[in-house]
Amino acid sequence: MSGEGGHLPDRAKSRAWGRSRDLGMGVRFAFTGGREGWVRAVLTAVGVGLGVALLLLTAAIPNAMGMRDDREEARHDIGLVFHQENAETKQSDRTVVVANSDTQYQGKEVRGRLMEPEGPRAPVPPGVEKLPAEGEMLVSPALAELLKSDGGKLLVERLPYRVVGTIGESGLIGSRELAYIAGVDGLAKRINGSTVGRIERFGNPEDQPGRSMDPVLLLLVLVVLVVLLMPVGVFIATAVRFGGERRDRRLAALRLVGSDSRMTRRIAAGEALAGSFLGLAFGTLFFLMGRELAASVEVFGISVFPDYLTPTPALALLIAVAIPASAVLVTLFALRGVVIEPLGVVRSTKPARRRLWWRLLLPLGGLALLLPMIGQGADNGPFNEYQVTGGVVLLLVGVTALLPWLVEAVVARMGSGSVAWQLAVRRLQLSSGSAARMVNGIAVAVAGAIALQMLFAGADSAYTEVTGKDVTRANMEVGLPDGSRVSAAVKDFEQTKGVSEALGLSSVSVGDRRKDPESSVGMTVGTCASLREMAKISSCRDGDVFMTESPEDPTALTMVKPGRTLWVEPSYSGEDPGAEIPWTPPGEVKKVAERADSLRPSLSGLLVTRAALPAKVEPLLYSSVYLRLDPSVPDATDRVLNTAAAFDPLTDAWVWESTSRSGEYQSIRTGLFVGSACVLVLIGASLLVSQLEQLRERRKLLSALVAFGTRRRTLSLSVLWQTAIPIALGLVLSSVVGLTLGAVLLRMTNIPVSVDWASVLSMTGIGAGVVCLVTALSLPPLLRMMRPDGLRTE
Amino acid sequence: MMPAGSLLAATDLRKAYGPTTALDGAEFSIHPGEVVAVMGPSGSGKSTLLHCLAGIVTPDSGSILYNDREMADMTDAERSALRRSEFGFVFQFGQLVPELTCVENVALPLRLNGISRKEAERAALSWMQRLEVDDLKGKRPGEVSGGQGQRVAVARALVTNPRVLFADEPTGALDSLNGERVMELFTEAARSTNAAVVLVTHEARVAAYSDREIVVRDGRSRDMERIV
Repeated sequence: MSGEGGHLPDRAKSRAWGRSRDLGMGVRFAFTGGREGWVRAVLTAVGVGLGVALLLLTAAIPNAMGMRDDREEARHDIGLVFHQENAETKQSDRTVVVANSDTQYQGKEVRGRLMEPEGPRAPVPPGVEKLPAEGEMLVSPALAELLKSDGGKLLVERLPYRVVGTIGESGLIGSRELAYIAGVDGLAKRINGSTVGRIERFGNPEDQPGRSMDPVLLLLVLVVLVVLLMPVGVFIATAVRFGGERRDRRLAALRLVGSDSRMTRRIAAGEALAGSFLGLAFGTLFFLMGRELAASVEVFGISVFPDYLTPTPALALLIAVAIPASAVLVTLFALRGVVIEPLGVVRSTKPARRRLWWRLLLPLGGLALLLPMIGQGADNGPFNEYQVTGGVVLLLVGVTALLPWLVEAVVARMGSGSVAWQLAVRRLQLSSGSAARMVNGIAVAVAGAIALQMLFAGADSAYTEVTGKDVTRANMEVGLPDGSRVSAAVKDFEQTKGVSEALGLSSVSVGDRRKDPESSVGMTVGTCASLREMAKISSCRDGDVFMTESPEDPTALTMVKPGRTLWVEPSYSGEDPGAEIPWTPPGEVKKVAERADSLRPSLSGLLVTRAALPAKVEPLLYSSVYLRLDPSVPDATDRVLNTAAAFDPLTDAWVWESTSRSGEYQSIRTGLFVGSACVLVLIGASLLVSQLEQLRERRKLLSALVAFGTRRRTLSLSVLWQTAIPIALGLVLSSVVGLTLGAVLLRMTNIPVSVDWASVLSMTGIGAGVVCLVTALSLPPLLRMMRPDGLRTE
Repeated sequence: MMPAGSLLAATDLRKAYGPTTALDGAEFSIHPGEVVAVMGPSGSGKSTLLHCLAGIVTPDSGSILYNDREMADMTDAERSALRRSEFGFVFQFGQLVPELTCVENVALPLRLNGISRKEAERAALSWMQRLEVDDLKGKRPGEVSGGQGQRVAVARALVTNPRVLFADEPTGALDSLNGERVMELFTEAARSTNAAVVLVTHEARVAAYSDREIVVRDGRSRDMERIV
């Protein structure tokens, strides 16, 4: 007994030792073999590394978003006024008056704050040690850089403050953020509770409850993540198979000296492990390099500081474990169809026919998970995130499972045509798997992108609001601060380079009684020219008053009667007293019709020329200037913003757009673009590396073919067909899967299913374009490899 | 000076790969129907000489005349056309296209010459019969033995009825029995078509199939007959 009991552990120990020895031998083989061996190891490591870097980046996104949010909350200021129970914070030596002076420069947002400390203990925002004195400002490093550059000259004019320091990292949400804090005087008297307020501290006043995301947006986020990460996984799986044929030959040599088939598999696993570990190291290095680089770049308006990009530990650990594990699994899976014999590698000449049934199970399983979610997101609460993610993943993985079968089934039926076609088709018939693997990544990306485009196109209207601004009528609008002289502002804007026309319009309300009027109506004040932008006015002189009628709101019609005294800015009980300025309309109030393309649509009320009103009404007017810009002046917008800032730094100015999008929805679209760009680069790189790897393996054969007179064009065409056939099939399959997924996702959100063929074509076009580009890039190495030098053995 | 009646002749060939001199004034000539063995140790420059003679590699200097035409004056396309139609090649490892069946491999040079698939494969099959490998026509190179594969490669070299056959260590990867059978079939077939054969080898028993031997050493060639 004891003897047996003693042997068993010994045997187990020796087995374990044998296994680890095999793995260790594989690790050594990964790096031996001279230059060839190193090239293969480095190619694998670069391939895996690129994928790992992208995964680490994804794992860092939650942290980066969290950091941005935290920093944004920590510097929260103007909005505090609304949160304070008593909006009237009393002035003390602990208060500061803050005004929002955000602006735009060359289309980029500039965060601006004007501050006036009211005592020595006034709070300071994060990243600032001491508030700037009057006429001074602190700027973000990116803004400092911009102000010093030639491109920042116009902005220097707009910010007439002396730069005395920089805002620290804790006061910024991104490395490239443009921000300034300027010290000004006299803000206190302009407190209005919205853009100018008095605060006692910075930061979020209370822990706001976690806001749950709109189910449709959540669905979009989930699908975007799955779609972007799937090709990365496919790419890594492809990268660990680089140099497979050479490795098989090496394993055959090991069989000759006595390795059994299990040992050879363990050795192969060891090689894969070594490649993946080196890939992890490269990936970490790429990620760290990219992280440092991240500080100097801005993508679609988003920048981060390097320390934001810290992967969540759990996710980083998952990557560190999953990559080597999947590398081993992929290698062992690839060795299934290969019999490594002592005298060479035998690939079953007719590899086991690929079965369709289990490949179909994946997409069908995905659909089965998604179908119960139909209609769930619209009104019936949130989706089950896991079920949706699982369903999308299965559907997209289904593409990678179905594609090899599809390629095999189709190429098996292809006849021989020209020599180039024959070479390509025969190669695909013999090893359609590697060709399918090459295009799997792009097929998944295209399928996902089509589905997303459909979802975005469907959801677009729900998240896009028509602003009602007619951009053919005006390009910009400037809201002047209360009490401004509109005529002076119009003159300033008219003299601004790039402004072709400036029109001032002011408004104020008028009631039928001095106090608590029974009815009141809006009054728009302007010159004859500016009033004509709103209504069809034939004859007009300064002093005239017009009335527009609206069948829905007949107030003006009943209230305005010749000789009747009306009250500008009447008072209401319980509110601050109004100006209560009496005004008697002139004898004739002409009725006019509103223009269909009015500058201020859906207007009803009085249109009044300036001379028809008493002078003391002027300070009460809320005025806007509408601007038409000369499209041939590229920086017209910035010049207008400069004029507006010179008029008053708190002037509101905005560029007219016909539609506006929900911020969250826009961020997801932006995220998709950023991610797609990264994934497309990765897929392109992966295709190129795979292509080169395949060509390298066939260098000798290519040289031999050239030796007996094969035209280079024939071989180049053959390489193109070898990629084009699987890609065409991949794109057909991905279109079908993408459209199916898109339709299901739309049904899930109760959005009518419609196919946006333009996006299907553009997505497949981009996919095909990447392949063409990669083929073009691989042609020079191909031509080099076709040189007869490849026949040399010494 | 080109020996009278020679089909292919080279004088004062020089070729270097970087700092390594492969040919250093090599000479060569061959007549129609003649089998010339090019011998020499590994790295002596024999394969480079063959590649230069076949127009695969351009020498740094020297002259190669094929059928009284200077190869250096031909364009790359002309040299490729020559290799397609007038030259045939057999390499050490056959270098058959693994994806094509044996008959497709043999028919490939004809197809590259624009001959229809059916016709090319008919001619290929006839050569495969002569080389006793017609039963392998539907098999792929991976499914046949080394000796069989090399015979398929010989059939491929002969299918265009070339005037010159270049064989670079054609039996280097075969056992002696298979090697001899391949050489017998190869030289027989070549003589029957009056093709000249340039046979690069380092094996004396393979060289024994030749009419004449040239030894290459340090990039220089010497005609053995003259030495003897």
